[in-house]
Amino acid sequence: MAIDSSVHSTPDVLDLINQVLFKLADTVEEGEFPEIGYYNSSRKNISYSSDQGYRPIDDTPSYIDGRKVESAKTIAGLVYGLSRFKEHLEQGMSMSLRDFYYMNKVRHVQEVLRISNQNETNRIINLSERILRIAGQSIPREEFGVVSSPKGTFFGDLTLSDQSGKKLNCTNAGEYGWFISSRPFEVKIHDINIDAAVFVEKEAMARNLIELGLPEELRIGIGSLFGQPGRNMRAWIRRLADQEVPIFVLVDLSPWSLRIFSTIKSNSIELSNIQGLATPEAHLAGMTSTDFWNKRGMLHEIEHSLELMTKSDIKCAQQNRNIPAIGQDEILNKENEALLKKKRKGELEAFKSFGLPLVELKAKYKSYLTSKAAIHDVKII
Amino acid sequence: MLTSRYSKPDVTELSISAWFYRNRTLAGFDNPARSLYVSIRELVENSLDACEGAGNLPDINVKLVSQNTSNERTGITSAPEIFQLSVQDNGSGIHQENITNLIGKMLTGTKFTYKQSRGTFGLGGSLALLYGQVTTQRPIEIVTGLRGEDYFTSILMRLDIERNEPEIVEESRIPKRQNDCGTTVTFYLQGDWLRSKRRIQEYFAQTSMIVPYSSIWFQTPDDKLIEYDRVIDTLPAQAKEVKPHPHGIDVELLKSMVSVTRTLSVASFLTSSFQRIGASTAKAFLTFAKVDADQKPRDLSNEALLDMMRAFSEYNRFSAPSAKALSPAEESVIHAGMMRLQPEFVTTTKRTPSVYEGHPFIIEAGVAYGGHLKNGINLYRFANRIPLLYDEGSDVSTRVIRNLNLKAYGLRPDNPLAFLVHICSTRVPYKTVGKEYIADVDAVRREVDLGLKDCLRRLSEQVRRRNRVQKNTKRESRLRGYYKFISETLGEATQRKIVLTNLFPAGDDE
Repeated sequence: MAIDSSVHSTPDVLDLINQVLFKLADTVEEGEFPEIGYYNSSRKNISYSSDQGYRPIDDTPSYIDGRKVESAKTIAGLVYGLSRFKEHLEQGMSMSLRDFYYMNKVRHVQEVLRISNQNETNRIINLSERILRIAGQSIPREEFGVVSSPKGTFFGDLTLSDQSGKKLNCTNAGEYGWFISSRPFEVKIHDINIDAAVFVEKEAMARNLIELGLPEELRIGIGSLFGQPGRNMRAWIRRLADQEVPIFVLVDLSPWSLRIFSTIKSNSIELSNIQGLATPEAHLAGMTSTDFWNKRGMLHEIEHSLELMTKSDIKCAQQNRNIPAIGQDEILNKENEALLKKKRKGELEAFKSFGLPLVELKAKYKSYLTSKAAIHDVKII
Repeated sequence: MLTSRYSKPDVTELSISAWFYRNRTLAGFDNPARSLYVSIRELVENSLDACEGAGNLPDINVKLVSQNTSNERTGITSAPEIFQLSVQDNGSGIHQENITNLIGKMLTGTKFTYKQSRGTFGLGGSLALLYGQVTTQRPIEIVTGLRGEDYFTSILMRLDIERNEPEIVEESRIPKRQNDCGTTVTFYLQGDWLRSKRRIQEYFAQTSMIVPYSSIWFQTPDDKLIEYDRVIDTLPAQAKEVKPHPHGIDVELLKSMVSVTRTLSVASFLTSSFQRIGASTAKAFLTFAKVDADQKPRDLSNEALLDMMRAFSEYNRFSAPSAKALSPAEESVIHAGMMRLQPEFVTTTKRTPSVYEGHPFIIEAGVAYGGHLKNGINLYRFANRIPLLYDEGSDVSTRVIRNLNLKAYGLRPDNPLAFLVHICSTRVPYKTVGKEYIADVDAVRREVDLGLKDCLRRLSEQVRRRNRVQKNTKRESRLRGYYKFISETLGEATQRKIVLTNLFPAGDDE
């Protein structure tokens, strides 16, 4: 799957921002109130399929009508945002969402826009992504300089060069491996010596796997998601999948973790307009309901370690039924229903409740991962 | 018998004045502070009556001067103080021969007619003068003159309490212009200004609202002049005296009426002594009451009179009592009165006459909003054109207001609102002897409720219209603010000057 089309050069993006600004200037000077159309993330504008995840379908546009006071405020915020993006791009600087929020606190800006919390400025960024489009596709905010604080690490025998320009191997980049770039699309991958990549929800287990030497022994990469993965992590997983690396995801047994997996696999409704965030090829390695509740499940022995689901867990699972990427996905739906039936949940740390000596625990991890990979026809030694 | 058989009968007849003086607390003369307030109030109301009666726009001039010299060291006067109170009006003046009787004698005249009047106790200022004389032992000075005469009569007199007779000390004439008329009463009384100050000032403030066609000046003992100048030049129409309605009397009154009538048959007694009874109604009623129409009224026994009273109340085909005896303030006057509060909007209404226990009444209501009004609900109550200052919480109007759904009118209880309720009636349904609040009578409550709601309805339209205009202006200025910002930001980003003259042609966007 080629993704190069979704990477736009900075001059192209700058050019587009300028076009929008000049167009607005002309409109206002001609005495017209500007009207801006865009496609929001309502269900009408989204389609879901299990092999592509969420896709934008641009069905029903929304309009910002500059004659209305609240819309004028939005346009003012948008114009200010675009002017900041332009300035930062010209200087080769990036900003975070929080940075942009504080830019709205410049006194003369604050006096007009009266921004009271970051949600309002985040909305402006989101809107900019929807309005700035090249060839019908939204430009991700990273490309106009607004990057999220990068989250997530990757360890494994993979050589790349990132924004720093240095060539590095992900086994030699610190104890967690490489800290994933905020702009993974612009990372150059030189060499891949792994047969699969396993992404682990919890940082503690990922570290254990690294400490036990699994990446070297199994020729795999280990990624740490640090909870809900950020955009950069999702884009990185996409990059790896594009390089034909099989992707496995290891998460808790809980309705929340099903959501984590589904955003990796299918992207989210909210960001469906941003390309390159979904990895439909990703496999759910564990922990699955059958691990615990099948007589021959690999974790059946520690079934007693499961805990009762709380009210909010149950509510989450019930809502999962209405999320297309979970409710309409065969595997995830099955998992979700099993959780609702048993009303119990488990965590990755449950491996520790085997009470095994480290050597045997390592063997346990190994056999767990290899057998899970085998289910999906991936052979790791 | 309550009197011991062995004690000598030692009963002397008490004159009316003496009786009232001994029971003066009934009329509010129970302590120096309250007595001062009630005295001023009684005399001012007498003066207003005199002016309105003569058809003159009232000019009332009240002076209250302390007669005490304050303690030189502390500056504090020893209470109770002695005051000189002088109330001057431009009423018709009093005929020389009537002066002493009108002012110096209590409860004269026995007319069986009704008419709306201010007096709370029917004593006028007489009791105030009596109170002054008793507490200071100084005579009373009356200066009065009629239009067309060229002199004022000045009389210095005392009241003889035991005989209920005035006693002239000195009489003289002061030359005047022919057109001048009016009366000035000056006397001395004991009082307590510090404790009654707030109450008296509030009395003048509220009185000025219900009689906005009057100019009232009040010179306080603190040497301040409180002025309320006339704001409207129309006097309300005078009330006419009417005969009682058969539903509005009691047995005692009926007995007295029978005892003085000169008619020779019950039928003609009814037609001549009551309103709403003509020959045919009298006939129908007497048939209903099974009374012989030709019987002489004086021959009716006590039992017969009681039966007749009962029949009066049971017979429900009398027409409603006439409202001619009422003198409502009229909407223009209420409106002018409320404008004294300097609000932004005023709406007023006058209800049609209604009946309560055989007495007609009219409710007039007003609601004001905004301007100089204090936030919250302010209530001003009036009965027969005098302000009711106390026991607001128990008044029927308070209950009505408490039950109003202000939200339905786009208003909130913390908005600057003033409500005015004026009831005029030949017998105001006061709840207690204090006569400071109106009882919760169904008929009255309904009228107050409808009156206030009518005002609120119209007020809310005005307030809403104003809010809409304000909202539009605010919207417009916010819109300009945003576009000013947009043009500046765009100008900076595109390196050119963006002008908004096409977008907002009429205005300067500064």
